[in-house]
Amino acid sequence: MIVGKNIHKSFGDLEVLKGVDLHVKPQEVVVLVGVSGSGKSTLLRCFNFLEMINSGEITIDGHTINPKKEDLAKIRAEVGMVFQHFNLFPHKTVLENVIEAPVTVKKMKKEEAKKLGMNLLRKVGLEDKADVYPSKLSGGQKQRVAIARSLAMEPKVMLFDEPTSALDPELVGEVLQVMKQLAEEGMTMVVVTHEMKFAKEVADRIIMIDQGTIIESADPKNFFENPQNERTKQFIQLVE
Amino acid sequence: MPDLFIDVYDVFMRTYPGFLEATVVTLQLTAIGVILGTLIGLIFALMKISGSKILRGIANLYITVIRGTPLIVQIMFLYFGIVEIYTMSNFWAGAIALGVHNGAYIAEIFRGAIQGVDPGQREASLSLGMNRKQTMQRIVFPQALRRSIPPLGNQFIITLKDSSLVYIIGVAEIFSLANREAAQSYQPFESFLVVALYYLVLVMIFTFLLRLYENKLDVDKA
Ligand SMILES: Nc1ncnc2c1ncn2[C@@H]1O[C@H](COP(=O)(O)OP(=O)(O)O)[C@@H](O)[C@H]1O
Ligand SMILES: [Mg+2]
Repeated sequence: MIVGKNIHKSFGDLEVLKGVDLHVKPQEVVVLVGVSGSGKSTLLRCFNFLEMINSGEITIDGHTINPKKEDLAKIRAEVGMVFQHFNLFPHKTVLENVIEAPVTVKKMKKEEAKKLGMNLLRKVGLEDKADVYPSKLSGGQKQRVAIARSLAMEPKVMLFDEPTSALDPELVGEVLQVMKQLAEEGMTMVVVTHEMKFAKEVADRIIMIDQGTIIESADPKNFFENPQNERTKQFIQLVE
Repeated sequence: MPDLFIDVYDVFMRTYPGFLEATVVTLQLTAIGVILGTLIGLIFALMKISGSKILRGIANLYITVIRGTPLIVQIMFLYFGIVEIYTMSNFWAGAIALGVHNGAYIAEIFRGAIQGVDPGQREASLSLGMNRKQTMQRIVFPQALRRSIPPLGNQFIITLKDSSLVYIIGVAEIFSLANREAAQSYQPFESFLVVALYYLVLVMIFTFLLRLYENKLDVDKA
């Protein structure tokens, strides 16, 4: 569904991604782990063309993207992204947040978009919050709205960048629950997270990134019980 | 002390009939100065954040020149520059000078407000498939506009006071009232004291109104 081949990305002299290969199959849930600064966010942002790769190739749903020639907005619409800090639009209500892109980008009729929006809010358990502003929501509620907002564009794949890292511990569960449900419905997902319980339960594959390269890629059982790389072993000890 | 009080009272009684008219002129100058300045400021702010080096260069030049020269010089410059060439009233020459002057400051207000919007807002919008233009129009600008209201209000009050400089080209605004009264009555101290109070009261009224408006905005957003 989404394939990265030999991705290189530098910021100035700092090479952050050093030839990453990642092949995410349709309906697969891949969890990305790694210490802070290893390049996880950068990789996700490259997949959504918020950062441009220096070399390599990105293929989405069988279509290899040439960022110089193509309408990036169209490609981004197919790749949903959920951010650590939610980034809800503070000047719009919850429902307006959700229907903004369908109405503006897809030119969907307001009525139709509202119906879609309410269905998505119901799905994340927040239909009663449709008309309030984001500042009135808890962190967990904000992140669920952000997920609904992404889903409104019917993306082919969803990227999550530490979606629960900014949340109070008691609010983490409600967000993970929504993500788990999405995974069960067959959404293709790439998730950066430190929630190892979620990784074990939901991931099809766990990938460890270290200093800009993939050093381990295995199903959860093998990842935790039989890691190959020394750094992975250290990492597992650290998180368990 | 009682003498001063009586003198001030005298000046006040003599000036207040003309005060209303002069206040209207001052407020007109201020309003035109701010509205024109907002339009100019918007254009130059967009130029400053644009991708074009030439546009950025022009905007920088404008802002540097205006901020680097005294308003009174700009007023004279425009007065002798425009009024001589086109037939234009002194009032409009002064109002345009205030607008051109404000444009530079308001451009910086808008630019700061636009760049002050959390980059995550832009990223979230782009990630949803909105293009740059849609992202600017629907996500960044509305938030930037809210952010610029307090500094714009501040600029309004600065303009209210700055408009006094337009007296130099003979526009009958509040300050010229004091000037005339000072010359006629030989009571310059009392005259300027009264005018200072006029400005102070006007500024306090607008500061109060601005506070009300800002509070209302905060409530809306919450
Ligand atoms: N826009 C940027 N400009 C310069 N350096 C950056 C930028 N984004 C990330 N980096 C650097 O790239 C490295 C990897 O960052 P990131 O991908 O955010 O790591 P992670 O998400 O794994 O913590 C870090 O050293 C970070 O400082
Ligand atoms: Mg990160």
